[in-house]
Amino acid sequence: MRATADRAATAEQYQGVVADSRWRRLLAANGPGYLFLLPWLLGFLGLTLGPALVSLYLSFTDFDMIRSPEWVGAANYVRITTADPKFAAAMKVTLTYVVLSVPFKLIFALLVAMALNKGVRGLTFYRAVFYLPSLLGGSVAIAVLWRQLFAGDGLVNAALSHIGIQGPSWISHPSYSIYTLVALSVWQFGSPMIIFLAGLRQIPTDMYEAASLDGASKFRQFYKITLPLLTPVIFFNAVVQTIDAFKAFTPAFIISGGSGGPINSTLFYTLYLYQEAFGNFRMGYASALAWILVLIIAVFTAFSFLSSRYWVHYDD
Amino acid sequence: MTNGITSAVAAPPSDITKRSLPASIVVHTLLIMASLLMLYPLLWMVSASVRPENEIFSSTSLIPSSIDFTSYVRGWSGLDITFGRFFWNSLVISLLTVTGNVVACSLAAYAFARLRFAGRNFWFAIMLGTLMIPYHVTLIPQYVLFLNLGWVNTILPLVVPKFLASDAFFIFLMVQFFRGIPRELDEAAMMDGCSAWRIYWKIMLPLSLPVLATAAIFSFIWTWDDFFGPLIYLNDMDTYTIQLGLRTFVDSSSTSDWGGLFAMSTLTLVPVFFFFLFFQRLLIDGIATTGMKR
Amino acid sequence: MTFRVSRRNFVAGGATLLSLSALGPGAFAADARLRLLWWGSQPRADRTNKVSDLYKAKNSGTSITGEFLGWSDYWPRLATQVAGRNAPDVIQMDYRYIVEYARRGALAPLESYMPSKLNLDDFDPAQIEGGKVDGHLYGVSLGANSAATVVNTVALQEAGVEMPTNKTTWEELGKMGAEITKAGKRKGFFGFADGSGAEPLFENYVRQRGKALYTADSKIAFGADDASEWFDMWAKFREAQACVPPDVQALYKDTIDTAPLTLGKAAIDYAHSNQFVGFQAVVKDKLTLNNYPLIKADSKGGHYRKPSMFFSVSAQSKALEQAVDYVNFFVKDPEAAKVLDVERGIPESKAMRDVVAGMLDDVGKIPLNYVANLGDLAGPLPPPPPSGAGEGQTVLRQLAEQVAFGQVTPADAGKQLVDEITRLLARG
Repeated sequence: MRATADRAATAEQYQGVVADSRWRRLLAANGPGYLFLLPWLLGFLGLTLGPALVSLYLSFTDFDMIRSPEWVGAANYVRITTADPKFAAAMKVTLTYVVLSVPFKLIFALLVAMALNKGVRGLTFYRAVFYLPSLLGGSVAIAVLWRQLFAGDGLVNAALSHIGIQGPSWISHPSYSIYTLVALSVWQFGSPMIIFLAGLRQIPTDMYEAASLDGASKFRQFYKITLPLLTPVIFFNAVVQTIDAFKAFTPAFIISGGSGGPINSTLFYTLYLYQEAFGNFRMGYASALAWILVLIIAVFTAFSFLSSRYWVHYDD
Repeated sequence: MTNGITSAVAAPPSDITKRSLPASIVVHTLLIMASLLMLYPLLWMVSASVRPENEIFSSTSLIPSSIDFTSYVRGWSGLDITFGRFFWNSLVISLLTVTGNVVACSLAAYAFARLRFAGRNFWFAIMLGTLMIPYHVTLIPQYVLFLNLGWVNTILPLVVPKFLASDAFFIFLMVQFFRGIPRELDEAAMMDGCSAWRIYWKIMLPLSLPVLATAAIFSFIWTWDDFFGPLIYLNDMDTYTIQLGLRTFVDSSSTSDWGGLFAMSTLTLVPVFFFFLFFQRLLIDGIATTGMKR
Repeated sequence: MTFRVSRRNFVAGGATLLSLSALGPGAFAADARLRLLWWGSQPRADRTNKVSDLYKAKNSGTSITGEFLGWSDYWPRLATQVAGRNAPDVIQMDYRYIVEYARRGALAPLESYMPSKLNLDDFDPAQIEGGKVDGHLYGVSLGANSAATVVNTVALQEAGVEMPTNKTTWEELGKMGAEITKAGKRKGFFGFADGSGAEPLFENYVRQRGKALYTADSKIAFGADDASEWFDMWAKFREAQACVPPDVQALYKDTIDTAPLTLGKAAIDYAHSNQFVGFQAVVKDKLTLNNYPLIKADSKGGHYRKPSMFFSVSAQSKALEQAVDYVNFFVKDPEAAKVLDVERGIPESKAMRDVVAGMLDDVGKIPLNYVANLGDLAGPLPPPPPSGAGEGQTVLRQLAEQVAFGQVTPADAGKQLVDEITRLLARG
């Protein structure tokens, strides 16, 4: 009677409370995360997702940017993978660029960061000096500077002639022009260097003190302390620099004058994409090219993340 | 003694005093040579900015035959709009971008690195995915989007996305750093009853000064150097940024003002350089308290 | 510490952001507002803005916003604006692109405004034709030019070689070039630039043979043998060291300052006549213009007078009448003509030519006289290039480079050129 009614009422209230608290639990568990994520989420959904989806749609069309897009199915993708010699050329040039510039850039960045981390006198000066080239970014002036260095009568050849080597015109010869772009990229190793420096600085110094007290050599310290603790940063730099190298545009654009020449030897993938989109009014085709690039980069990144389990040490 | 701090600043094993003199000389020589190599193109540019215009391409030496600052004058005031205006525009956009990036990306990075929530890995993968899309592709759809919002010909398309953490690079960077900070600190704070926000504000951020400084530096410089975004979104010449202004010096179909270009290019390095110098102190000083807050 | 700074920045930043967004583009609201877009550098901008001021003085209540960019930035900006339905009212247009934009409906046809609003009476009819696509007028020519060789008179004198004349043949030029190189008066100096990949030069060549690049119905108008002989001729020049070697030519990026002549590598180079002033500005030696060499002593019709650039009106423009009026003013007002002189080319209007002729200095007179005195070296204007013609230009350059670097034989290159272009035209 009263007791049952009471119990029923209590049961109802209880269920309400439980349901309530399930929500509350969900909210409590996931709420903070999503709250912090909110700006990014808004930006992604509002500003990135929409355009990305539109661009994916465009990749299945013929779109000259002025008239409406015309659906062509997978025709663009088929043409790219089977009948486009420029695509193959661009892939080759970009892969060469990635494979050469990224390792060298990272090695220099790490070596110099370590050298600077040791508290060399004039540290601030050197650090700024090594970073300065990166400040020039995509400046138009770079084209001229690089020509002054690497043309047939440029300074590099002048220096080489002192040791008896007769150099070709590096920057305008199809066999060598890509190397001048690699050099440009490596010259701007300041960015990964700064990141390595920040990472090195984050390694607690008492570890090194303890190690040297135990009699460990500098090399051992590097190998057993620095390197493992630095792996998250190395991983970051490697992934990001590789993605950037795949997407590189400005150096090739500026130095080749937008042509990717001579004979497509500096035709970076995104430069080819740009030519198709803005030079030849083939935005649909360019979108397809872009998504293929995304696919390639995605595969590479996924692979890196999977492999990172085996060599990257996180403190959490 | 202030062992922890001085050694954090002057770093690991070898003190300068302990290193032998020949080794020190070798290191310095190498560094100086490397510096010259790194700086050579820049020195060439500075030299080109102060030499008479018809000497720029004909002479190969670094030392100009005569110093002449007309390129600077011409570059600064030769355009309809003085270069100072471009500097100001670039400064505004860059500072806003830095703020947006540091704030929004650290929020997102904290969520990814430290908080657990349903779908976290999924969103993380998506975030990385956005890193891979070349901007030329989403350019037109985004342009139309901003056009419909009425934002074209303002700085909004360039700045607002930063406050919405559109630069996944920085999120990724900060995640990697946050993950390097020991979890025990968070756990201790949580046991003291701190909310996620307090942990973020009082623990995470103070310990991450190096990465925040890094993000600020990069953010500033990349925005300073960006020309494609302003090219597309800024129509009125008095809203042009520096990079856009520089490009008007050079036109392939008629005469170019190379002297002016080099002079203004040299000038544009100055603010960036100072920004860098200012923030890099944080890279040194910031670390002094790592692991010490217990 | 740092966070207080961040918070302050954040608040300050937010406030700035809001206030800046309020400033916005208030100009969109004004009546009779024209937007102009052109490519060029500051000198051209100064002239154009002065003309706009003159127009505003005569048409009060009009506001004109002028935007300009360098050539390579111009086209992506224009494409994006057209795609975003945000195109400027008056657009400077180039021969290469006018067909693309016109056929896609981005430009407004102008013939209905003639002759009352757009008075082109004293234009050479052929020059008006140059702005027509598929029978409609889409662009008003801002100046005429013609292709030319730019000759460094001082370098030729030094080498003791005679100046080329308007009857010089390719063979003769080849001999001259080899002599200049042999004379060796300047370091790394050669007779002439390698023009095997330059479309105006190649077009001139096939026209002298009675052919053309493209037919009026978008087909290729020359054969593999024309192309092969062309490449072969240049291969022989390279062998004889009459022209610059391939890695020097590859430095050329279609700009005045990367041309072999400007870089001090060659005595003779190729350009459009209205670029002459630009060349003379960056080269210390005295230059002059001459026509392209002849194939045979009596060849004719290789050259043609072509519009250097046009003003077109956007089909999306909300101020069509005003835009057309502005264009008319630009090409027909004597005050405007005085400001513009020959910077964009020789004025098409005879009346304006007369106004300008008196004002030119010696350097400016050279292109004027050159174009005026072509005589029967010049033939009829070719039909507007078909879609895909722009890519044809790139293909020619690439094949020429491949021949130069020894990757392909001239005979094969000729065949490939024809094949590729036919394929491009079919793709449309």
